[in-house]
Amino acid sequence: MTRERDFPELLERVTPECLRIIARYEEKRSALLMLAHVFQEHEGFVSPEAVLAISEMVGITPAETEGTISFYTLLYRRPVGKYMLQPCRGLACAINGAEDAMAYFREKLGTSNLETTLDGLVSYEEVECLAACDRAPCMQVNLEFVYDLSPAKIDELLAGIRAGTYPVKAMAQTDPPGRTWEIRQDDQVSTGRKAPGATGVESPNNAGGVGDKSGTIMLDKIINRDVEFFRETRERAVLDSRAVVESVEEGREEAEHARH
Amino acid sequence: MPVTKVLTAGIGEADLRNIDVYRERGGYRQWERAVRELKPGDVLDLAEKSGLRGRGGAGFPTGKKWSFLPAEKPLRYLVCNCDEAEPGTFKDHMLIAEAPHLVLEGILLGSYGIECHHAFIYIRGEFKRGYEIFSAALDEARKAGFVGDDLFGSGFNLEVTVQRGAGAYICGEETGLLNSLEGKRGEPRLKPPFPAIEGLYGMPTVVNNVETLAYLVPILEKGAEWFASVGTERSKGYKIVSVSGHVQRPGNYEVALGTTVREIIDIAGGLRPGRNLMAVQPGGGSSACIFEEQLDLPYDYENMAKAGSMLGSGAFVVFDDSTDFVKAAHNLVRFFAHESCGQCTPCREGGHWLERVLERLVHGRGVSGDYEMLLRVSGGITGLNLCALGDSIEPFLKSVLLRFPEQFRARVLKAKETVPV
Repeated sequence: MTRERDFPELLERVTPECLRIIARYEEKRSALLMLAHVFQEHEGFVSPEAVLAISEMVGITPAETEGTISFYTLLYRRPVGKYMLQPCRGLACAINGAEDAMAYFREKLGTSNLETTLDGLVSYEEVECLAACDRAPCMQVNLEFVYDLSPAKIDELLAGIRAGTYPVKAMAQTDPPGRTWEIRQDDQVSTGRKAPGATGVESPNNAGGVGDKSGTIMLDKIINRDVEFFRETRERAVLDSRAVVESVEEGREEAEHARH
Repeated sequence: MPVTKVLTAGIGEADLRNIDVYRERGGYRQWERAVRELKPGDVLDLAEKSGLRGRGGAGFPTGKKWSFLPAEKPLRYLVCNCDEAEPGTFKDHMLIAEAPHLVLEGILLGSYGIECHHAFIYIRGEFKRGYEIFSAALDEARKAGFVGDDLFGSGFNLEVTVQRGAGAYICGEETGLLNSLEGKRGEPRLKPPFPAIEGLYGMPTVVNNVETLAYLVPILEKGAEWFASVGTERSKGYKIVSVSGHVQRPGNYEVALGTTVREIIDIAGGLRPGRNLMAVQPGGGSSACIFEEQLDLPYDYENMAKAGSMLGSGAFVVFDDSTDFVKAAHNLVRFFAHESCGQCTPCREGGHWLERVLERLVHGRGVSGDYEMLLRVSGGITGLNLCALGDSIEPFLKSVLLRFPEQFRARVLKAKETVPV
């Protein structure tokens, strides 16, 4: 891929800046976040190659770098859209109409939270309090504030982005983004937590640990009396027992019959 | 009491980002005077005598915090905390973007007061613009000879490093911040040892809020007595209150501590016409609500604590009768569950479960016993964690649970409505 081929050139270009940043600290490792920001600015995300380069510069293992970066939600470990739209869902915005604004965004973009549009132009993330509560509801576009959101303002913003006339600089995009940049345990599970797992690996290593929601989701379903869930469970139980298989088959036949 | 302008003086009127404008208004004069004429101990004395308390949330006396530094260890650090992310707070955001030189001068004075030679400022990752503005201000100040080696020919060296965060509320907690500054996950540390003994790189460190440090400038200019003459018995001076929510003119207002809660609401333009006040959250997302009967309380550290809440960072959120408190509680609990670093089980699991229970209440699918469960679980989180994030989940939730039980109970499914299994 092009990005991987271009990386050595990028590394050479940013190395002087990185060394200047490292020199500001007593310990090299302190520069880690700032270096990740530098690479993200040029690549649109913190790539696996960048993780290796940062590790080498500050003298720690890639696992330590990865472990640190994965803690921070502003550092993306997978490619994102050219415009990161981040409406605030904090309380002061919420009581001033943020929910309507976010619903409007989702409708207009055709994405839900933590997703990138199919054309790779816009990524959408609902974030926590942005500290601009006096002009609620607010949002950030590539970390530039937009205040007092209204449907008209959102329309204008999206039209500007799509037409390429929006005044905020687009983010670098060296790789085509996937549907989401969040690393998840299971694509069926929508999570709002700090993502576990390693770069690009949907690791089963964290199963049952922080971020694994399978257990709680099942419990929720039981508590909420999820009809679909119980039907499936019963069917599964039935299939396990040979004696009842026939009755199920009969039921299916009946159902098929009814359909025709 | 009216709005005063101490730190906020000139904001919106003059371009304080420009070092020349700032100097024309008396900027960096206190810094020069401190280095030329005062001993570090004098600055510490002034801070102590003024009664200045931490403006970031805990309200710890600033001079006292500095005095904990062990005298036998000369290598020490000052860290300015600009990781402002408490729901409802937006004062540091304004200061850093509108008055960066004032913040810098505060950092310089603080560093001189504790005799450190390397100060850091940790700016929240989302404030990219603020970071750029502050970095530019720092460069200007360095060129003008206010930061660097042998300042004003006194032999005093001071370097300031700016660091950007990357989107983690927990890095506002001082030991979480120090870990993040060391290039690690922003997970809070076990205390003691407190940062004053073992902080950044294992050295004695003072972590102060932006507003706290900025107040050092007027305190040096006008004297500790001037600052101590304002406020109430144990809460001295001024405070920037970030008023938001259901008021007509939300914004940052600087008032003397002890101004009543009702006056602050009026300063922000009062409620919208035809609306009634339901609650006020006086100290950010971590604080409990206070209600109508408490509106005449003076807004200071002691009275807010007495009312069962806290002054916190001065985030003042007003709720009128259009508020759905089940949704509001869900919103804040979700925030804390999302921002939990995951080290301590009560906070990590408790917050997550409360969020789940509240979510089903929001959708009107609660089950009987949910109300009691919320009280029990939130009470079971408090006091069992390394840092204050876990303890922040309970106050708001409990205060609205006890005040508006009918809003929560109405969301519980009645037996006949549940889907039969």
